[in-house]
Amino acid sequence: MTNQTVIKVGSTATGFWGKLRTQLARRTEGRAVVLFAIIATVVTVSQPLVFTAYQVTLGRIALIGLVALGLTAVILMGELDLSVASTLAVSGVIAVTVANETNMAIGVLAALAAGVVISLINAFFVAIVGINSFIATLGMLFALRGLAFVISDEAPVKLQNTDLGIAFGQPLLGPLTPRILIFFLIFIAIQIFVSKVKVGREFLAVGGNRQAAYDAGIPVKRRIFTGFIISGVVAAIAGIINAVERTSADPTSGSTVLLASFAAAIIGGNYLKGGKGSIIGTLIGAASLGMLQVALTISGVQIPIQEIFIGGILLIAVITDPTSLRAVYGSISTSFQGIKNSLAK
Amino acid sequence: MRKSRLVLAPAVMLAAAALVLSGCAAAEEETTTDAGSTTDSTEEVAETYEVYALLPQGSDQAYGTFYVPAMEAAAAELGINLTITNSQYDGDKQASECEIAVAAKPDGIILWPAVGDAVRPCLEAAEAAGIPVTITNSDLFDADKALSRGYSGPDTYGQGVSSAEIMCELVGDAEVNIIQLNGAAGNSTAIDRDNGFTDTIAANCPNVTILQEESTDWTKATAQQVASEMITAQGIDNIGGIYAADDSIAAGAIAALESRGVVAADYFITSIGNTFLGNPLVISGSLDGTVFQSSSWDGENATRLMYDVLTGVIAKGDRKVLFMPSVKVTAGNAADADVAPEW
Amino acid sequence: MAKETFTEAMIVAKDPQDSKTTKPKTSFIGFVADKGIFFFTGILVLTAVLFVDGFASLQNVTDVFHRAAPIGIVALGMTFVVITGNYLDLSVVAQAAAAGVILIAVSNAYNLIIAFLVAFVVAIIFGLANGIAVGYFKANAVIVTLATTYIGLGLLRLLSGGSQVFGPADGPIATFGTSKLGPFPYSAVVLVAVTLVLTFVLTRTNFGFMIRSFGVNGSATRLAGTNTGLIVIGAFMVTSMAAMFAGFVLAAFSNTAVSNMASGFDFQALAAIIVGGTSVFGGKGSVPRTLLGVVFVSILSNVLVLVQVSYGFQQVAIGSLIVLAVTVDALGRRVSKK
Repeated sequence: MTNQTVIKVGSTATGFWGKLRTQLARRTEGRAVVLFAIIATVVTVSQPLVFTAYQVTLGRIALIGLVALGLTAVILMGELDLSVASTLAVSGVIAVTVANETNMAIGVLAALAAGVVISLINAFFVAIVGINSFIATLGMLFALRGLAFVISDEAPVKLQNTDLGIAFGQPLLGPLTPRILIFFLIFIAIQIFVSKVKVGREFLAVGGNRQAAYDAGIPVKRRIFTGFIISGVVAAIAGIINAVERTSADPTSGSTVLLASFAAAIIGGNYLKGGKGSIIGTLIGAASLGMLQVALTISGVQIPIQEIFIGGILLIAVITDPTSLRAVYGSISTSFQGIKNSLAK
Repeated sequence: MRKSRLVLAPAVMLAAAALVLSGCAAAEEETTTDAGSTTDSTEEVAETYEVYALLPQGSDQAYGTFYVPAMEAAAAELGINLTITNSQYDGDKQASECEIAVAAKPDGIILWPAVGDAVRPCLEAAEAAGIPVTITNSDLFDADKALSRGYSGPDTYGQGVSSAEIMCELVGDAEVNIIQLNGAAGNSTAIDRDNGFTDTIAANCPNVTILQEESTDWTKATAQQVASEMITAQGIDNIGGIYAADDSIAAGAIAALESRGVVAADYFITSIGNTFLGNPLVISGSLDGTVFQSSSWDGENATRLMYDVLTGVIAKGDRKVLFMPSVKVTAGNAADADVAPEW
Repeated sequence: MAKETFTEAMIVAKDPQDSKTTKPKTSFIGFVADKGIFFFTGILVLTAVLFVDGFASLQNVTDVFHRAAPIGIVALGMTFVVITGNYLDLSVVAQAAAAGVILIAVSNAYNLIIAFLVAFVVAIIFGLANGIAVGYFKANAVIVTLATTYIGLGLLRLLSGGSQVFGPADGPIATFGTSKLGPFPYSAVVLVAVTLVLTFVLTRTNFGFMIRSFGVNGSATRLAGTNTGLIVIGAFMVTSMAAMFAGFVLAAFSNTAVSNMASGFDFQALAAIIVGGTSVFGGKGSVPRTLLGVVFVSILSNVLVLVQVSYGFQQVAIGSLIVLAVTVDALGRRVSKK
């Protein structure tokens, strides 16, 4: 039996609301927004402190979200950067070590330079040599972690200018600390870059269909370099912020940030294979995770239960993606079809 | 069709989330209103204090598994409502938890530093908010001590010293080569014990030479593997003893020796902890000495110290230091009841 | 059987490596890339035997086996997941730890048989959970296995209290851990046995064929009518079974178990798989290659301790090695395409 299908070519929506609806339908952050709304609602009811002490929650969101933002730039292109956790540690160690010898400004520059160098190495292996980015950055994750240990002599490096560090952790604009402000600035910068700047908009093309991007004349290799530089520099900034705020650079830092960043990006609707997703999505994902974490901490629930809870939310969030649900529906109906057919025989 | 699915899944999540979080909120609600209420001191009823305990381990490590129940039991007894966190030795995570704690305005904060270098901002924030802080298990650097009201716990540097003293006493004047197995790389307890041990060896018995040191992750399996390879590297005939930062590590090293067919008792082996693994080894003679560390003492006294601060027993300006006795455990006293292992 | 040839035909048509039906002309780089891991291992062993004191002793070979066994068994199982193009299974960390803790704790409280049964059931649940989410819901494997890791470790700590458990000194577990078959420790025997079984499964069974074809061309396999969801569940089940055995072996080695005993297993196993030549793109790879990758990484780690390299430099060495191995592989692949 054949069904008649009408093929719609292009959107036929007219009027403001029609156009808005099609615009929204194309966006990938839908599920992230729903998740955010749910978590926000539940948290408001049970742990209102999360909102009354919003600067603390924002600080937690900035902690897990900053690295996630840079990571998203790479994910949009269909690549991955696992080395961000170690880049964070190495840049923190370099910043403090150099700052102790000279001054903070030079320390920051040195750390940023390290971030750039690391990202150039990553991009070289991915774009020029052609290694799968997952593996290349996995190797760098190990190697850089070792480097952090070697430079710091396997112990945390204390920042001598403690007052600067403490001051850095104080609220700067209203109740917002420098960390939160930098986080928002970087978010705005990357968001504008990816959505308005030509180079940035090509990221999605590179991720969506690499071959088509080549054919369209996009300098794919250069875009990959740009993406990794964004990821590496943002990770370096995160490392510097952490080290200065803590007044000490810990070579073991960043281990929990890696997977939390991926979770934030994916919850936010970014596809690991690239081509679909957004920076805003990552922001929403990071916000959801941050709120959840803070709420759980305040609730005083036993830690293993907190872990189970976060794992459960992650699992549910990721299998309730519209694509996933469609896939399951498809599998189930195919199975039923198969059973019906074999019964009919 | 799609719309209903988009509603169903979130609805399920909403139900689950609401259940868990509000279940806890309900338990919290009775005592949340008491936060910071030191005004009703005229009543006979024992008041409830709100205290945050910022820990770097809990039921994810053997020590924490026994530390936390002891801390909670003392809290229940003294009328303290504890909110416990576990940053898993991540300094940034603990700093964030500290921010949450300060925002929650508890009566006190018990801090077990995940990274000793990194806690000053937390201390200053608590001080600015008027929240007293006591330290447990790993004390602060001298420069930061003034920001806390007291410390209770082991003297991790002193533990390394004690273990070295046992070693020196056993070795006497002989020239002995040993291998050293430390705790996790970058971990503050590991670093303190390492320094305590090596400083004391250098000072008291320089006739002992440390041939090689390696980090482990505190577990017996890794220690066993690494120790075996170190013995291969140095040559079994070249080694006279082993120092392990922890009894589990020592147990691993001893297993490595025994798998080669040698008798561990012939070697000078010392460690720290007096745990379920270590104590029997001392009694059997394989392990020559260890240092008693009572996780339950640690947890209990963390709470008691905070209680003393909250009730004014410890005056502001007097920093109280309560060291856990670093009792040396050797063959002579290993079977005694007062050094029965706890974790 | 018709189904099989159809899929096979689709694979041959779509596999970029076999665009001609004859083997592509091999250049030096291509040859090195493909067989490179054999050479690297050989060079490493030769160098170690000649220049590192004590490497060539029976004791040290045993130590290398002990190093290789737990990670190796996990890596062998995880190869199935990687070949299907699903990146990796992060939850092996929770699975191996759960198996180890269950083995010792339950056999202490009850007996060994019940311990095996409980661990088996737990492994099945893990495999099913991961497999259904990734195979039927088509969710991303990285996040799914991350979630199951959190849930698994959380449950483990909740139920076990988190403490370190150890078995009686002369119990069957301890005996297994210290016994040998000739010169080989039992852990090595398990490693070899798992290699043989999994190689057979991957190359000679229908299921193994499905796994490989799914990895090379998922849509072709789907078109051919095979139930791809089941294939993915199968891959994750193989991994969870392997992780279970790895947990047993690790627990037996030290006769202790604790919830964080398998930390790092996920990335280390993946590193071994990649170094062995299995492609993260999926499709290309084999079980014996993973074993070789494991052997290489284990020997390297062993040698680094023997020559007294500090922890930091050890990590740098291993990381650089991974990048080097994959570089050679990528260069080789590019050359053989020309």
